[in-house]
Amino acid sequence: MAPILLWLIMFLCLLISVLKYLMGLILRVSFPRVKIQKDYTWHPTVSVLMPCFNEGKTVYQTIESISKSNYPPELIEVIAQDDCSVDDSYEWILKAQHDFSNIPIRAGRNDFNCGKARTVCNALEHSKAEIIISIDSDCIFHPDAIRELTACFAEPGIGSVGGRVGVSNPNDGVITAIQTIVYYAAFELYKMPENWTRSVCCISGCLFAIRRSLLLEIEPAIRARNWFGIPVNQGEDRFLTHQTLLRGYGTYINNDAVCWTAVPTTLSVLFKQQLRWRRSIVRDFFYTLRTLPRHVFKLHPNTVLTLVLTPLGAVVAFLVVVTMLTSDPVAWTGPAPLIAYLGIAAALTWAIKKYSARETIHHPLAFGAYIAWSMASALFITPLALCTMDSADWGTRTKQQQEEQIGLVSS
Amino acid sequence: MASSAVDPTPTTPAAPRSRPPLQSLAHKSVITIYRIVAIIVLYAVLLGVLSYAFVMGFYAVNSNWAAPVILSDSDEKSLDFMQKLVISRQTLEDLKVDIIRQQSTLAEMTKQRASLMALDPELQVAIARERSHDQMTGPQLAGLETQKKDDNAKTQALLTQLHQLEAEIRSDLASGLITKGDAATQLAALNQAEDAYTDSRIAGVLLSDDVLNKTTIGTKSLDVLEKQAELRSDIAQLDVTLSVADNQLREDNRQVERLRDAIEIAKQSPYFLNASGNKRLYFAFVPYDNQANAKVGAPIYDCYINMVLCRKVGTVKQIFHGEEVISHPIFKTQVRGLTILMDLSRPESAKSQTVFLGHKPLLF
Repeated sequence: MAPILLWLIMFLCLLISVLKYLMGLILRVSFPRVKIQKDYTWHPTVSVLMPCFNEGKTVYQTIESISKSNYPPELIEVIAQDDCSVDDSYEWILKAQHDFSNIPIRAGRNDFNCGKARTVCNALEHSKAEIIISIDSDCIFHPDAIRELTACFAEPGIGSVGGRVGVSNPNDGVITAIQTIVYYAAFELYKMPENWTRSVCCISGCLFAIRRSLLLEIEPAIRARNWFGIPVNQGEDRFLTHQTLLRGYGTYINNDAVCWTAVPTTLSVLFKQQLRWRRSIVRDFFYTLRTLPRHVFKLHPNTVLTLVLTPLGAVVAFLVVVTMLTSDPVAWTGPAPLIAYLGIAAALTWAIKKYSARETIHHPLAFGAYIAWSMASALFITPLALCTMDSADWGTRTKQQQEEQIGLVSS
Repeated sequence: MASSAVDPTPTTPAAPRSRPPLQSLAHKSVITIYRIVAIIVLYAVLLGVLSYAFVMGFYAVNSNWAAPVILSDSDEKSLDFMQKLVISRQTLEDLKVDIIRQQSTLAEMTKQRASLMALDPELQVAIARERSHDQMTGPQLAGLETQKKDDNAKTQALLTQLHQLEAEIRSDLASGLITKGDAATQLAALNQAEDAYTDSRIAGVLLSDDVLNKTTIGTKSLDVLEKQAELRSDIAQLDVTLSVADNQLREDNRQVERLRDAIEIAKQSPYFLNASGNKRLYFAFVPYDNQANAKVGAPIYDCYINMVLCRKVGTVKQIFHGEEVISHPIFKTQVRGLTILMDLSRPESAKSQTVFLGHKPLLF
């Protein structure tokens, strides 16, 4: 019985994944309802919360891009909250505060390092705007981004709106090229069916807009998050999205609200980032299992499917790779799979070149490399995530922090 | 909106809620157990991955592995093989019976041909003898026929006179010169004479027939000649049948030889040995790349986790050169090779995923 059930789940997850991409493609071209009704005449006050940790000069560039926004400057404020960076991030925030006087910029600093989620909450304490936009401090925002995000709140029932995250360094190497393809497919295809039912299950923390009242309602839950007493500082974006859905609000990703981020260029950084994301997926899965019986009839079926199958997909991917490597280790090197991978890569590369020229990829075999990375990722990251749920660091920047702290001690 | 001035007061995050000591202890216990389990799991995963990578690398370069194959009595190939063998044997037996039957028929036909051949000269002699007799009696009969014709002519003349005599008798009777009895006696004598003349004419006609038969080729001769032709035709047909039967017999004999050879070769197959013997036999598949190590008498090693702590478990007993194709025990790709028969001192090794021929795969 168990193997049949296992295979059934595996098949279902793979089918749903494939169907979601296909459905996304169909929805993009066929259903206008997928696109939200925007109202560009509504101009609420906006607080841009920017938690920051060891970002260096990037925070300055991020604030600069916000200052160039075409949203009425008198309605924007930036609240930059530093989580005890050991580099010069805070100085760069202060410099930005000095240089970009067209918008109000508040610079704050935590007493001690407490993670991104709580840093966002700390920043929230200083905000009074109607719409809160939480951003990553390493992103560059398109001038229309804020305008596009706020316009979506015109549709009744929308609680959170996300933006499209583009890759600013697609051709730094094969690693960045493969991430470009993944980001593009995720935002332009995979999220489309979720957009259709206003039930996106994870809005990226790079560009996350939420109604102030809703965020205030969720804030205590963010602060209270813990793993058997260990504070949870990661995956606040997924948690916020999930909470939005549980409270009966809709979630949406507006691909016209664009920000650009520099994706990891080395395997080790990519691995850490993916591990952090996977941990947050697994954590959300446990949360889903715990809360689903209470909320299952409140949520849209599409939301339930996504909430359950997305994390299950990670476990399934692990099982698929293990099964494949043990039963038929070299099957994936056969001509048929390779042709299929490269065919998908060619199609996506073409689509990126046509519809997002800035992200045009010059590595034609990048998707092939992505398949190898996916296998390694499925094999290692899921078990590692399951076994490191007690981690509470910032992920990609911890090592730098530790090294610098060690440097400070030794000096 | 807030001013753009620097906020000098650092923000202090809300203090975490204090937990009851019992809950805190429970959390600490859970976390400790979780971390221990996590470390064990992660090291197990790491060990598994490293082992997997090593096994893959090992089998990519190793050139003396062989994959034991246990053929059960109900093995599909063995059963199929035995079925074909039984059919071949049955065909062989059928052919043998056919050959015997054909040989018998051939002998009978040869005898019949000899009989027919013996008839032909006798027929020739009979025809010659008859012809010779005809040639001798024909002219004599022709002479007698002429004489007979002359006699009949004379008799006919006499009969004309007798017709006149008959008229005189009737006249005498009418005039009462003779009695009725005398007249009847005389008329009966005349009638006898006419009757004898008719017989003589019939004899003359028959004689002409005989002369014709004796002096010319008649239908009777043609009948004899036809029979002679039939006899020769029968002999010719029999020759053809004999030739065909002889060829068939030779072909059947060749087929028998071929089948015997095939059966002999088949008896050397591992599937035959497996299916026909009572003793359990142990086979192994050797890929062509490793063929150099497959020599009769070469030692066979069985190892733990398919590569280390090896011990000798037997020797190579026989090599079968028929090609076999199986899945690689590790890579699961199709591999071509041959089969060997192993003489195992430790039969459990036949259940190992791989064994090694000639030498240990590593140093230990």
